[in-house]
Amino acid sequence: MSLQMKVPAVGESITEVTIAAWNKNDGDTVAMDEVICELESDKATFEVTAEVAGKLIIKAQEGDSLEIGAVLCEIEEGAGVQEAENDEAEEVADSISAEPAKPTGEVLEMKVPAVGESIAEVTISNWSKSDGDFVELDEVIAEIESDKATFDLTAEAQGNLQIIANEGDTLEIGALICKIEVVEGAAPSSSTDQTQASESTTLESQSSKDTYATGHASPAAKKILDEKGIDASSVSGSGKDGRITKSDAVEAKKAEPVPTPLAEASKPAFAPPQIQTGVSRVQTREKMSSLRKTVSRRLVSVKNETAMLTTFNEVNMQPIMDLRKKYKEQFKEKYEVGLGFMSFFTKACTMALKEWPAVNGQIDGEELVFSDYCDVSIAVSTPKGLVVPVIRNAESLSFHQIEKEVVRLATKARDGKLSIDEMQGGTFTITNGGIFGSMLSTPIINAPQSAILGMHNIVERPVVENGQVVVRPIMYVALSYDHRIIDGRESVSFLVRVKQLLEDPTRLLIGV
Amino acid sequence: MDYQVAVIGSGPGGYVAAIRCAQLGMKTAIIEKYDTLGGTCLNVGCIPSKALLDSSEHFHAASHTFKEHGIDINAPKVNLKQMIARKADVVKQNVEGVDFLMKKNKIDVLHGVGSFVDPHTIQVVGKESKKITAEKIIIATGSKPANLPFVELDKDRVITSTEALELKEVPKHLIIIGGGVIGMELGSVYGRLGAKVTVVEFLDRIIPGMDSTMGKELQKSLKGLGFEFHLGHKVTEVKRSGKTVTVKAEDKAGKIIEVKGDYCLVSIGRKPYTAELGLDAAGVKVDERGRVEVDNHLKTNVDHIYAIGDVVKGAMLAHKAEEEGVFVAESIAGQKPHINYNLIPGVVYTWPEVASVGYTEELLKEQGRAFKTGKFPYKALGRARASMDTEGLVKILADKETDEILGVHICGARAADMIATGVTAMEYRASAEDIARMSHAHPTYMEAFKEAALAATENRPIHM
Repeated sequence: MSLQMKVPAVGESITEVTIAAWNKNDGDTVAMDEVICELESDKATFEVTAEVAGKLIIKAQEGDSLEIGAVLCEIEEGAGVQEAENDEAEEVADSISAEPAKPTGEVLEMKVPAVGESIAEVTISNWSKSDGDFVELDEVIAEIESDKATFDLTAEAQGNLQIIANEGDTLEIGALICKIEVVEGAAPSSSTDQTQASESTTLESQSSKDTYATGHASPAAKKILDEKGIDASSVSGSGKDGRITKSDAVEAKKAEPVPTPLAEASKPAFAPPQIQTGVSRVQTREKMSSLRKTVSRRLVSVKNETAMLTTFNEVNMQPIMDLRKKYKEQFKEKYEVGLGFMSFFTKACTMALKEWPAVNGQIDGEELVFSDYCDVSIAVSTPKGLVVPVIRNAESLSFHQIEKEVVRLATKARDGKLSIDEMQGGTFTITNGGIFGSMLSTPIINAPQSAILGMHNIVERPVVENGQVVVRPIMYVALSYDHRIIDGRESVSFLVRVKQLLEDPTRLLIGV
Repeated sequence: MDYQVAVIGSGPGGYVAAIRCAQLGMKTAIIEKYDTLGGTCLNVGCIPSKALLDSSEHFHAASHTFKEHGIDINAPKVNLKQMIARKADVVKQNVEGVDFLMKKNKIDVLHGVGSFVDPHTIQVVGKESKKITAEKIIIATGSKPANLPFVELDKDRVITSTEALELKEVPKHLIIIGGGVIGMELGSVYGRLGAKVTVVEFLDRIIPGMDSTMGKELQKSLKGLGFEFHLGHKVTEVKRSGKTVTVKAEDKAGKIIEVKGDYCLVSIGRKPYTAELGLDAAGVKVDERGRVEVDNHLKTNVDHIYAIGDVVKGAMLAHKAEEEGVFVAESIAGQKPHINYNLIPGVVYTWPEVASVGYTEELLKEQGRAFKTGKFPYKALGRARASMDTEGLVKILADKETDEILGVHICGARAADMIATGVTAMEYRASAEDIARMSHAHPTYMEAFKEAALAATENRPIHM
């Protein structure tokens, strides 16, 4: 009996997903609830787990785009697979004792294969199997990296794995990686597999369990963290029992759970070079996370597929700063949330969006979609990358509701707890590069939206008012927009309108 | 300003602070009122006392254990003059070492008494009187031996530790007032050289502040050396007439004892030294015990003036002062260093030595914290039997739940060096089992450390 597994409905507006990776190979035996593949929508990535235990037959390949409901794979529920029911389990036990796996006494040595002409050595990036594990023929047992690519190492025989080279070891072509004590006959049933799996989980969970010393910084590490202003609790320690070592502290970066310009994300994905004493030529390589892959793919596609350009203006922030100064305390006391700039910008944008609906619109194939509401996306930089949670119906929220929503979403974003629902469906985006000190930037549209407002830093600049040069706190604002749907008149007028509303916030109140 | 940093006092706190400042690129001066650098520690403290302790220990071994080792010699005689001369030479080498370090780090050394004229100006009066100004000033003037109000120190027969390092003869009967570290060390020196030693201590234990097991072990060992102890006795009178010093003391019941000797060492502790410093001119406050008041960053109430070492609160130990010197220098440079005061080890250089770090059993009981104790005696140790150093034990206290090491207390040969492992383990918050699972070379005294850790883990030492 085989069960067809289909692409699940993952979110309201998501009609299509891409297979990011298969964690299992065609023909592998999978356990129920085991993660078998990773899917990506344009919002997020999620994992698909096996609905039953059995043999996996893959129907769609990595990189394929599938509609919701399309067939992903089939799982053959067959003998040798433990079912939840006890009687069947007993049968399985019988079949095992009837046909035991036999060690042959032969030990197969596995060596680093030649992987490319100019490649002389490789590094073991990780073992997917542990020492002593039972491995099947062709099962992936390790991931190997050369300076050109990474590839999987598969078992050349069925049997018990003896690991010789450790993770991080660099080996020459032909060097010994591991040995397999060859075992003939049927693979141990999945019940054995499960026992082994559960045993190894217990061991792992013991070793990775938090102890009283988890997160304790060594003397040198503590000094470095204090100087960086990083709380030890935000650093994950690589030392024994999670102790924070000096190198953990050297590499630790301050988490910034705050809005960031979308343009920021187009920088290369490698970690910034570590500042070290002396001259260094060290480069580090790490795998792109699924989130980073999604972000990078989408940003490039927006650049290629829209007619994007940017219009600029400047805003005298003095009136808002005065207003904030005057009511900051009262606002905080009454609503238990600070009065920031975000509420002013969000309100000003929603009012301007009402007047210039094209800026709030989107292109969907041959049609234009205009929304009656303003769902404002806020770009937030998190330790894992950029996310864009949405403030729903921002046009009908009051200042304190907006401020609270910003705090709530930013906190969830930082903790990586945003749901897909909270990230999808925005009609317009605001990004603030000013908090990092950006003077001016051209943000990239958050597709399928058509426009994005970029906020920047506030700098005292000389401006002319009534024929006099005076010093005012000025913020440059930028609106990137899709010229296919928004005309120059609309975009420029929108931005001018935002400027007017911010420079005279009384207008927000009376709607003129 | 003439200097970015001026340090007043060149003891282990002051000179280390000066070096670290210079390493961090600051133009630095150090002011010292004596002719030689190094302060109490190098001149009249740690170093000379260790020199005499080692000499007297050799004499003691020659008199007592050589025979058993199979070395027959004529009865050895003490040449105290040579011992003191060798000690002086050791001191000389060390202070010259500091001179060299000052030159190497391009630190200006100003000999003379430094006193504040105003918060940024110091008048140095001495061989080369001059006035200097500095952006930051570090007070590291240290401490002097304390005295009882009714005792007249004639520095001839009623003496402090300073004079005890320069005696012309071995006392016949040395009376020591105060059962602290200094008294036990200097008492050991003269006890080994043949003096009868009597200790009068106000509290009912010696080396108070250390774990009580250590006090008991040390007392046992010193009794073996011929020490007599009057604990729980309050000294009421010290009187000298001719070559005799008479000490009267009363116990808690009011019973009075009288001890007669030819020398009396007053070692009841030390007091911070700030005389001649002109703290008022700088507006720097001191507390009721005469210590310069500092905050958690060792800053005084005047923003650019810091104080370190014996002149501030905390244990009066050279290595504590050194840590504070580095701390202040790095703080001035904008770094954020840290000192874990609970993990500053304390050492008594008697033989057997006593060393300790972390919480004592008494403190843990006071805190109501659940803990386990692991002990291992030296006499069960092959290495200790080989050297005939079988006195003492290692005692490790660990948290009952987490097994984290909370205190390490050692009484025994080489305890002073062994305690460093306790500090390292505790800085990394190691558990007793962590230590128990590390290989320790055999045969070493450190095996007792491992065995005590095994005992603390789950009472399973191998060799007991």
